[in-house]
Amino acid sequence: MSSPLAGRGTGIGWRPEIAGVAADLPGLRFTEVIAESLHSGVPPALSALAERGVAVVPHGVKLSLGGTDEPDPGRVSHLAWCAEVLGAPLISEHIAFVRAGGLEAGHLLPVPRTREQADVIVRNVLRVKESVSVPIALEPIAALFSWPGDELTEAEFLTDILDRTGAWLLLDVANCYANALNRGEDPLSSVERLPLERIAYMHVAGGRSADGYYHDTHTDPVPREVLDLLKAIPGAPPALLERDGAYPAAEVLKSELDAISHACGHPVITS
Amino acid sequence: MTLAERQAALVRALVTGAEIPPGFAAPALTATRSALMRKRGAEVAQVWPRLAESHNGRWLEAFGAWAGQRAPLGSLRDGWDFARDHPPQTAQARLELALREATFAYDGTTAPRRRKLPVVRLVRAHRRLAAVIQAGGRCRVIGSVF
Repeated sequence: MSSPLAGRGTGIGWRPEIAGVAADLPGLRFTEVIAESLHSGVPPALSALAERGVAVVPHGVKLSLGGTDEPDPGRVSHLAWCAEVLGAPLISEHIAFVRAGGLEAGHLLPVPRTREQADVIVRNVLRVKESVSVPIALEPIAALFSWPGDELTEAEFLTDILDRTGAWLLLDVANCYANALNRGEDPLSSVERLPLERIAYMHVAGGRSADGYYHDTHTDPVPREVLDLLKAIPGAPPALLERDGAYPAAEVLKSELDAISHACGHPVITS
Repeated sequence: MTLAERQAALVRALVTGAEIPPGFAAPALTATRSALMRKRGAEVAQVWPRLAESHNGRWLEAFGAWAGQRAPLGSLRDGWDFARDHPPQTAQARLELALREATFAYDGTTAPRRRKLPVVRLVRAHRRLAAVIQAGGRCRVIGSVF
């Protein structure tokens, strides 16, 4: 089975601050929008892209699929609404939790790799699938720490969840790079263990080293090593640049997009 | 402990400064705590830009020092509580707070609610006073804070 985004090449995450850059990419065939940013409707610049035939993927960040409570029905129906109004070919969310015990963490947190936790995620993903009419892709996150007492390797945990839910993989190569670096592992061999045949699309982002860790910031340039990892992924899946602040000039973003296209063997989208 | 309790203990440690649960690597959790705090401070600065600017480039430090033991309540309330604890030092930041106070009723413990009745708030700007007048949900500023 081929990805719902197959052949869509290189994309960029749609953010209001860089809407002009996205609108100005003649070869753009897919983008992604943070689902939680669409609470007051779809911005006209994003609708214009959708009308042009650009696939728009609603990307949830606050569903907390790893949380032990079932997903909030309001959040699930918002995702379903986003998919419908954008005519999205799929939605995506994270293998993570963002709240527990009545407290919001404010960011994606890693889950323990246990069978009990896998069961919770499978239940939550199936709940989402009941309400959303398009496929879902799940993204493993970057984290500076892991839980004690993991029962499964990352690859086993991920494969089990994807097998039991029928979900696609959203592979963030920058997250893989960050995790491998922070754990003292080789990025390429950690990526090669993952179920790469399940990739719907990939994320690419920049980061920086600080305080002895590599932080996946989305506000720094994409490192050479992350581009090299892209070259190692078979089948040239679609790849999307995520930038979330400290926005550089349009030319800088365009040259990062060109570098991603080059690394993946995708057509250039900037001219 | 159940999975729910273990997740809750981890979030408490990360956002309220509670003790790090056993078995976790303390340096990595401490680094995560700082990263979460930087993100939280930056998000509050988006909602309270004049307040953040009034700290002359040291906003993240000031906010982080204050918020370290406080559970996040969302950027609107986090910034509001901070501003009430640290009365803003610039006229622009005082105006930002006065506009919010005129538009919403906030008791400091539950979510702010849009005011239904008109109010007037005075803002001290250098040696003069400006007034924020809210009626029907719209604010007008009389006088200048520049």
